[in-house]
Amino acid sequence: MTHQNFETQLDAYLDGELAAVDVRELETHLAECPDCARFHQGRVALRAAIHTHLPVFPAPDALRERVREALRATPREHIARRVVGPVIWRSLALAASFAVVALGSWRLAQRRAGAETLAQEVLASHVRSLMPGHLTDVLSSDQHTVKPWFNGKLDFSPPVHDFSGRGFPLIGGRLDYVGGRPVAALVYGRRQHLINVFLWPAVGAAPGGPAAVTHQGYRLLHWTTSDYTCWVVSDLAPPELDDFGALLRWSDSIAAPPM
Amino acid sequence: MEPSQLTRFEAVVLPHLDAAYTLARYLMRDAHDAEDVVQDAYLRALKYFDGFRGTGPGDSRAWLLAIVRNTAYTVRRGRRADERATEFDEALHSEAVADDHPEAAVVSQSEREELHRAIDRLPPEFREVIVLRELEGLSYKEISDVAGVPVGTVMSRLFRARKRLQDALCGEQQEP
Repeated sequence: MTHQNFETQLDAYLDGELAAVDVRELETHLAECPDCARFHQGRVALRAAIHTHLPVFPAPDALRERVREALRATPREHIARRVVGPVIWRSLALAASFAVVALGSWRLAQRRAGAETLAQEVLASHVRSLMPGHLTDVLSSDQHTVKPWFNGKLDFSPPVHDFSGRGFPLIGGRLDYVGGRPVAALVYGRRQHLINVFLWPAVGAAPGGPAAVTHQGYRLLHWTTSDYTCWVVSDLAPPELDDFGALLRWSDSIAAPPM
Repeated sequence: MEPSQLTRFEAVVLPHLDAAYTLARYLMRDAHDAEDVVQDAYLRALKYFDGFRGTGPGDSRAWLLAIVRNTAYTVRRGRRADERATEFDEALHSEAVADDHPEAAVVSQSEREELHRAIDRLPPEFREVIVLRELEGLSYKEISDVAGVPVGTVMSRLFRARKRLQDALCGEQQEP
């Protein structure tokens, strides 16, 4: 191990993030090189100073109470309400309840069929986007260019991320039409592969997913958060696309709301 | 949100309140601001809890800290909007970091005071990696998820932040 490598690897070593084989090599070098041993000592002293002098702040009780109250004051959604009729209507209610069950399964079937139709539409749109000149309306790897581009073109402002550091660079965005409404389509890349992300507000849809389906060799992921319904489609290998999906959900969920 | 979901959220996410408050204190450098940030972050987390559950990388602590971090940055950005503050620049701040400790000339600073001053003077992008690594014990991968940067960037920020803190401490120790 060279001197220069050492400085960059020492932190990883002290943080317990260095592979075992590198640890041995580094410890050997450390025993032989006084300069590096001094550097190591400095880091160890710094860590001791940090742990001695920089406090962890326990949350005040008042804050704990405040957070609890705020959480409980949050409006409850998605609670099914059941109307209970008078006793004499019990038999009728029973019959009605069968009808409700039947209606429920019909709705479920409808929703499945709806998802199937949506999957077909999303896939068709993805394939169309791959044809020359159809991929993007706004071609930019800058999220601060792509996001404002949608202003005035949609009735919502889609979350746009820059994942170039994670190996999924943003390529651009375009307007599209899916499920009977205008939607935001964002295009990300992975090597020579393209990923289309379709987004629209989750109106009346309960949060759920992610679910995956495969159509004609393309993998499609979809889920619904409290804000958006999202479909992701690509010819990328399933594990990589799933990684991208996880990254997207993570990034959407931690994004602070604009204040 | 059903009551049972709220109970589950409280069981999973409320235990990280101290970690959340600590990160907020270091990022906001003000107790009152930190409390506001933590409360906003928890409400955001509750809203997204269902979408997050079992799907994202990292555990619920890293996830909550990521929300705290982004909420703190949003509040800070809002405050500085009319100050025309320069955005954090990886290269710029990395080069300049080592030379910026004029207070090293001040004698009789205790190590503790020196360290506090040094951490306060770090750009938040450097301060957060120190807090997340040294005080919260997050892995490089978790820090990368929280800060939204590659692991390589986490490592170089940690390296430079530590160098800067070390320089501040050495400056103090070399005084008569």
